[in-house]
Amino acid sequence: MRQRLTAWFGQARDTLKRTADPGLLGALRVFGLLYGKIDRSIPIDESLRKSWSRRLPANVTWKHAFGGIAYFLFMILVVSGVLLTFYYRPSVEEAYPSIQFIVSEAPFGWLLRDMHVWAASLIVIALLAHMARILFAGAYKSPRETSWFVGIALFAVVVFFGVTGYLLPWDQWAYWATAEFTSGLERIPLFGGLIAMFLRGDRIVSSATLSRFFALHVIVLPWLAFGLISLHFVIVRGHGIAGSEQAPKGEGTPFYPNHLMRLVVISVFLIAAVGTLAAVFPRPVGDPATPFYAPEELVSTWVMVDVTIALLHFFGPLGILVALILIAALALIPLFDRKPETDLRSRPAVTLLGVILFGGFILAWAIGHRLSVSIDSGTVPQEMLEERALPPIPPPIIDSETGASGAGGAVAEEVVE
Amino acid sequence: MTGVVTRPVLIAAALCAMARPGPAQDTRPEATTLTGDTSYGCLVCHADKRRAFVQGIHSEWGIRCHDCHGGNPESLEIGPAHAGVFVGVPDKQQTVEICSSCHADPDQMRQYGLPADQFAELKTSRHGQLLESGNQDAPTCSDCHDPHTTLPSSDARSATFPTNIPDTCGRCHTDAEMMAPYGLGTDQLEEFRYSTHGRAIYDDGNFAAPSCIGCHGSHAALPPDVGEIANVCGRCHIDVRHALAAGPHGGSQEAGNIILGCTSCHTNHGTETVASDSIAETCTSCHQDGSPALKIGEQIQEGVIRAEHQMESAREAINELALAGRQTSDARFRYRNALTEFRQIARVQHSLDPELLTDIELKVSSITKGIESEAEVAHEERWEHRLLLIPLWFFALSIATLAYFRLRRV
Repeated sequence: MRQRLTAWFGQARDTLKRTADPGLLGALRVFGLLYGKIDRSIPIDESLRKSWSRRLPANVTWKHAFGGIAYFLFMILVVSGVLLTFYYRPSVEEAYPSIQFIVSEAPFGWLLRDMHVWAASLIVIALLAHMARILFAGAYKSPRETSWFVGIALFAVVVFFGVTGYLLPWDQWAYWATAEFTSGLERIPLFGGLIAMFLRGDRIVSSATLSRFFALHVIVLPWLAFGLISLHFVIVRGHGIAGSEQAPKGEGTPFYPNHLMRLVVISVFLIAAVGTLAAVFPRPVGDPATPFYAPEELVSTWVMVDVTIALLHFFGPLGILVALILIAALALIPLFDRKPETDLRSRPAVTLLGVILFGGFILAWAIGHRLSVSIDSGTVPQEMLEERALPPIPPPIIDSETGASGAGGAVAEEVVE
Repeated sequence: MTGVVTRPVLIAAALCAMARPGPAQDTRPEATTLTGDTSYGCLVCHADKRRAFVQGIHSEWGIRCHDCHGGNPESLEIGPAHAGVFVGVPDKQQTVEICSSCHADPDQMRQYGLPADQFAELKTSRHGQLLESGNQDAPTCSDCHDPHTTLPSSDARSATFPTNIPDTCGRCHTDAEMMAPYGLGTDQLEEFRYSTHGRAIYDDGNFAAPSCIGCHGSHAALPPDVGEIANVCGRCHIDVRHALAAGPHGGSQEAGNIILGCTSCHTNHGTETVASDSIAETCTSCHQDGSPALKIGEQIQEGVIRAEHQMESAREAINELALAGRQTSDARFRYRNALTEFRQIARVQHSLDPELLTDIELKVSSITKGIESEAEVAHEERWEHRLLLIPLWFFALSIATLAYFRLRRV
């Protein structure tokens, strides 16, 4: 026993001595003796030091930070989202009151919820800025095509995160924006109706839709996103940042402290900015959702809804169709633009596409946010409302031979008698 | 009111039953034979009438063509079919007689739970008096009730359904040429449509609100006398009638200085609400500037406007709370209490007692102030949230400064 204690104290002394090492990693050792013990078997320190001392090309500057910003915003969304699920209840009866509880009663619930809302908009902008840099720098070219495709898939996942999360407050704005979105999906030829039905789980947006959107938002999409993010990072790490091929080995700037310090600065400013937006511009809460009438005005609380509103206002459904075609063209660019030149003058079509898409996005966002939108509640069929107002009695299940009733028995027995 | 509305239907119900010993002897199976019985002589020529008739309630109770029109339905030839006691198309006077042969008979009507006084009422009305004098403008039963498709007034297709009554009356009363000899205007229907009562019926589907017959009666239709107006309105506006009687205007009636009841301040068919900022102006139609009575009017106007503003502020406060994501069920419940008090103003202002009005105003104010203070608390909390930005930015700037110095060392 004495020997074991002596050995343990020896290890502790050794760990404390190593904790006093200069450098950022030394700070990790204050977490205690356990870490030191683990580090002896798994060399965490060594691998981190190796990784942080990796040198990046000298041309990597602040403009390369958008990917990191998007990732950090994703982390904010994950943390705030997990905390919100502690209080949020995904049912028609409880979703709206639980949002009211989060906003007005739960400690710092207002901050978490509004940070979540704002981060959801900012991540789209950060991703688009990241994509714009890649596009204009020609960084999607060989051998980084896969990274581009994975990035596009990540963007789609982030947008779908927003679509599914938008319904969860279950207020009139959320409900009717989702109703418009799903009825828009129905217009897609061939599979539109099937996709809309799969998402809604019903002929109108209802409790089935809320359950599905919640499951997609907190279970399916996070796994998908983590998988794609990991793949994206592995590919980026494998190929290195575009332009690093030309840089001689051993030159450039080390990841730590040059780039890591920049990321730290960006991260803290990002938290402060998202917190400021949350405190100064909280998302208002509309009336509780009802399928019986549309709100007088549809208030948008997400950047993609603003953009959609502007497109529909100026170009109608055709605007959405054209935007989708342009996005598809953007996604497939590496398949068509296979020349190694990265100069913009040698890629006029790509430049034009980028300017139209990214410039158009900013313009549509700015205009869409100011447009006043009213919607027609006719998207919900009248007969559906009547059915919901007076739910039909389930038909009796009667055994055709014996006349005995199964489920719905009391009614069935009366019918039989 | 339901009884008043159903009476016209009953007169029409009598129309087709004159020649029968009594519809009590008829049964539903007999009624169904009419629809398919090709041996019934009337149908040979009058198939179009059958189509209309089978939709009505008389058909349902087994009344048939010959019960009102006479003739012999067993004959399939025109001559013998129209022989005997045959009425054919009855004139206005005959129509009343045919209908009342059943509908003025309590013994026949009792089984249906229907009154039997329509004919007696009709005789007291202006319509009945003109009809008796042989005036061809005067309406008979079938002018208001479809003689063949006779429907109960609860049926939305009926001309006596609450929303259809104004149009039924309007068929004659919007005809300027017809009304000219009697010195009657023709704008009543238009005024009524956008009146408080008209909007209640047409827009809100509130059939408790009166249409034409609610004030004039149906079969005993007459305009109320000047002295009767307050009583007519007071049948529904009971509290207002009591308040009016208790106030100086009620006293003036007793003293013989009769004001024109409700219509001094409100019109009869337009029945518009006097706007809160027009109360004193309405008083000036009788009272002179600077008179004590007008001052009371001004006091009432100010009190009503203040109470309206308080209610408006409470509504805004609730909206603000809702937008901020606050639970508003308690505030909404209190607002409803305030609204109950606020609606008492409509009664109290007719008593012309400013003290009573002040009492209500205080009650409204105490409730609405509570709601507003709740919104103020929420508003202050939102400002307190912004105080969090101070440590947040201090933290961010500190980290950024440290990072800057670390980068400078490179």
